[in-house]
Amino acid sequence: MKIESVELLVVGAGPAGLGAAIAAAERGVETVVVDGFSQPGGQYFMQLPAAFSSAKGADMEEKGKLWLDKLGKLPVRVISKTLVWGIFEEEGRDTWLAALYGSDSPRYFRAAKIILAGGAYDSPVPFPGWTLPGVMTCGAALILLKTYRVAPGTKALVTGAGPLLLSVAAHLIEAGVRVEAVCESNRPFPRGLVHLPAILENFSRVREGARYAGKLMSAATPYKAGWSVLSTSGRERVERAVIAKLDKAGRPIPGKTQTFDVDLVVAGYNLTPNTGLARMVGCELNYQPQKGGWIPLRDENMRASKPGVYVVGDGAGIGGADNALLEGQIAGVHAAQETGHLSPASADEILRGIRAKRRSQVRFGKMYGDLFTPQHGLIALAQDDTVLCRCEDVTLGEVKKAIQMGAATLREVKMATRCGMGNCQGRVCERSVSAVLVEAMSGELEAYKSAGYYSIRPPLHPIPVQFLAESQLEDL
Amino acid sequence: MRRIEKPGSLLPAAVRGAKILLTVDGRQIEAYQGETVASALLAAGITTLRLSAKHAEPRGVYCGMGVCYECLVTINGIHAQRACVTPAEDGMVVETCREAEL
Repeated sequence: MKIESVELLVVGAGPAGLGAAIAAAERGVETVVVDGFSQPGGQYFMQLPAAFSSAKGADMEEKGKLWLDKLGKLPVRVISKTLVWGIFEEEGRDTWLAALYGSDSPRYFRAAKIILAGGAYDSPVPFPGWTLPGVMTCGAALILLKTYRVAPGTKALVTGAGPLLLSVAAHLIEAGVRVEAVCESNRPFPRGLVHLPAILENFSRVREGARYAGKLMSAATPYKAGWSVLSTSGRERVERAVIAKLDKAGRPIPGKTQTFDVDLVVAGYNLTPNTGLARMVGCELNYQPQKGGWIPLRDENMRASKPGVYVVGDGAGIGGADNALLEGQIAGVHAAQETGHLSPASADEILRGIRAKRRSQVRFGKMYGDLFTPQHGLIALAQDDTVLCRCEDVTLGEVKKAIQMGAATLREVKMATRCGMGNCQGRVCERSVSAVLVEAMSGELEAYKSAGYYSIRPPLHPIPVQFLAESQLEDL
Repeated sequence: MRRIEKPGSLLPAAVRGAKILLTVDGRQIEAYQGETVASALLAAGITTLRLSAKHAEPRGVYCGMGVCYECLVTINGIHAQRACVTPAEDGMVVETCREAEL
């Protein structure tokens, strides 16, 4: 089997991956980008489908076009609709072997440097009825609305944590969907005032938020801080949603509820970094709830604990698209120096410039984490018969039973219940199973560290057995 | 569930790809070149895409970006395809709720 060699492999073509690939290729690094979607851009810079057309795109789409144009002018090979299902350290060489699954992609790439830019996904919080069709994440709703121009409901509730809720609600309202309420589980006001400098130096985001808030106001949609969905119900799909006021820890306060007839519930409790590949290659992780949970340990050049591996953007800790672009650039420039395309002196100078630009983004990220990290107590929304692991249909009651029988870590709960063994490899249930473990242990947040995380083994995604068999390497 | 036709300030006017036809559980639905199977199904009002493994409960589009594997359907006879990341193509045959049988 033919293995193609390349200096740098970038996994993911969102803001972080684009920033990295452009920065490296501009300095002459031979670069390949692999991305799972039909078109590069990731979720944030998501472009209309190639078969669609428009005179002028939405804001983020236009912003993304500038970066995609830049990439298009460079000799970078972009392989779309392709999954990286494994990355393996090659013993005796200073290289990594990446295994790909896609219809017209090579099966393997050998690379000296790998930049992981996997992005993030909505953090799931389980509640009774959350598996019903019609309950979806912010990401799902925004893709349907922005990319495919489909309104996924007629009457909606938007619930979760973070400014993405405002964006979802505003887009729904513009699409003619009645949004009954936006529930933010945190209480960002007036606490946010201590972050005023970080907010003001990122004024474009304030403007964006104000635009969304304007849509909410004109539709008379209430924004309820300190509230969350409590449960949803319906036969074949969502028909009703109950919301509840939360205490400071995020637990519902009995009696303080409201009920709405809705056919859509958009629920996203901030974002979780997609760290699958970083885990697989053995990068050391660190638990930082305000950055989205378990994130890879990195140095100032975005290098993880494994030689030749960089992790950038939201997939390394939630920090937003502008920060992701800059982190990608840092890794790209550093990789250019390491592969001999840039002298240490000129790399140093360029990196200093990027780091200076990144400072305000770091402050913004701190503010974001401080105001919008979902509270631990939200796990109290789940009841014993609520499914935590959607793939294997494992309920909270079953997880609690495993913990009573002695399971003390995620790994042990997985062995006892099959939680996290399904197709999604635990991406959907990890956060809630950890929270249940923490509740059962001490309730102290430090216990998240001892609960640990799911280990990830290849294949990262379910791959047809036939394909795996054909991908067998005889001799490296 | 419906297609958005009126442009606005957040979602400027866009022209969809060519009209195509999919067969879903024996019934024909209209779709557009460029969209995903999930988008076409939702626009046609089809929300239950599979039944869960143990309790046979209805499941549909959840993460919408290929992470959660809740929207698995059978496409042209090949089972367990993610509707949310598979582009719709003219003449495609989609079957919902067959995952548990396989």
